Amino acid sequence: MSPSVSPIHYEELVQADRIHASLYTDPRIFAEELEQIFCRGWVFVGHESEIPRSGDFVTRHVGTQPVIMVRGANAEVSVLLNRCAHRGTMVCTAARGNTRALSCPYHGWTYDLTGTLMGVPYPGGFDGSFDKGAHGLPRATRVSRYRGFVFASFSPDGASLEEHLGPATRLIDRACDLSPEGEVELTAGWVKHRCPSNWKMLPENDLDGYHLGFVHLALWKTVRTQYHRVIGEERSIKAVVRDWGNGHIEIDWSPGYQEPFEWFGGVSDELGARYLEAMERRDGPELARHRVFEGPPHALIFPNLFLGETNVAIVQPVGVEECVHWHTPMFLKGVPEFNRRLLRQSEAAMGPASFLLPEDVAIASRNQIGLHARSAEWLRLERGLNREYVDAQGRLVSHVTDETTNRAFWAHYRKVMTAA
Amino acid sequence: MISDADYRSVVDFLYREARLADESRYAEWLALWTDDGVYWVPATTDPDVDPDVQISHIYDNRNRIATRVKLLQTGHRFSQVPASSMRRLISNVEVTGAAGELVAESNFLLVELSVQAKHETHLWAGRTTHRLRRVAGELKMSYKKVVLVNAAEPLPNLSFLI
Repeated sequence: MSPSVSPIHYEELVQADRIHASLYTDPRIFAEELEQIFCRGWVFVGHESEIPRSGDFVTRHVGTQPVIMVRGANAEVSVLLNRCAHRGTMVCTAARGNTRALSCPYHGWTYDLTGTLMGVPYPGGFDGSFDKGAHGLPRATRVSRYRGFVFASFSPDGASLEEHLGPATRLIDRACDLSPEGEVELTAGWVKHRCPSNWKMLPENDLDGYHLGFVHLALWKTVRTQYHRVIGEERSIKAVVRDWGNGHIEIDWSPGYQEPFEWFGGVSDELGARYLEAMERRDGPELARHRVFEGPPHALIFPNLFLGETNVAIVQPVGVEECVHWHTPMFLKGVPEFNRRLLRQSEAAMGPASFLLPEDVAIASRNQIGLHARSAEWLRLERGLNREYVDAQGRLVSHVTDETTNRAFWAHYRKVMTAA
Repeated sequence: MISDADYRSVVDFLYREARLADESRYAEWLALWTDDGVYWVPATTDPDVDPDVQISHIYDNRNRIATRVKLLQTGHRFSQVPASSMRRLISNVEVTGAAGELVAESNFLLVELSVQAKHETHLWAGRTTHRLRRVAGELKMSYKKVVLVNAAEPLPNLSFLI
């Protein structure tokens, strides 16, 4: 007989101004997150531009579940479990490719691009009641897209993607609308960075404006970057953090910008003029100039999509103390002449050999060690409670170094983890 | 056809470059580069990859190589504070030459003890292409491409000199 296991009380572990260390170290909590967040909730899987043609696929993980995101004959995008209905074998091993059918290497069961079972070798061993229609590759119950970003949920009910994103669609809009054609393209491939920490440390850190001047000191001492306005004296920093609801959180650097294209580290007059002209044709001069000044978002779409300015990143949980940070540059459709520069900026910012993320991963790794100090149980989370405010649109806003973002992440986490 | 003397000088260069990288002797390693150096670590093992189309782990021009070294020299690049303890073996060296340039291909196996947090041992392996030429009598590298066997997999921090 197994001993009775007491339920986890998230409302005690996540408080308004502190969180409990076990949230990063307890394997039971990790298992419950896979169910509550990565199975029942909406999770970012990939982008339509990765699979432009019929038969194109990429393999990913939703939580720890292996999936195939594939475009079918009628351009429909499916998210299928990468697991044969027969004996559970992984059907597809390639990271990407193009195929007419998905065939299991074990006993040759073959599925079409929507996961429907088409053929079973030696059918004489199955009686007449064997229903091929009931043995397809299991599909994500719900797949929904917003401006090319594909999200999946393995729960038949719950909030729609529209309800989950709420006003945070404007963060995705801010990225897409930087393209004169209104579309981003994620076609440069992905770099994967292994991080020996709990997955939640990555979105927390990606949306933490307090650490920049310390963790990334080496970079500020070496080169001038677009972040130089947010590492000065506290009162001179104009950038802000915002809570968009449902765990979607943002750092907005743009209040600190003084010139257009600061988010891009500047741009040549000729290229800038050509781009602005293309933007003006769509948006008119005022809105185009606003977009080019404000630049892309720096935001988390809960739980695993990081819109990292000119990069898109995915947070992949692997185990309670291991995760992977994927990233790719965000190409802007209509301005291919930016791509080379976006690639070089992406390599500088993110990934295991870049000039920023290795420091974040080193610190996350030290956090993970520190959190095993059992005699001290809590992490502080009160920074900015004394000065955050609600803006005219109902969003909580504060100084960029405040933990408003982290609190918003955790408040939503608690809601999701305690949902029936 | 490469002379024995050229072959010997290339191998000496590869060993020296490996030792300087292993021992985090940043300034001396930087001095091995020509002014037009390119340092490339693709994020795939596909030999046909175009670095202007696909993302790489590293695609540094000479300026960025210098920035990479300066970051390490600040003493605040926390992913290398303290510096990893490393030793690499260089083997299977094949040298060809053309137009005043020596091209060396070699395999490497590197053991890294990452001492910044969890003290994990990481194994790195791959095939390297060096392009070398003489500048004022000294061999210098104008190109170093490192194709890791696990280039497309999730990698731990790679902020040391690979």
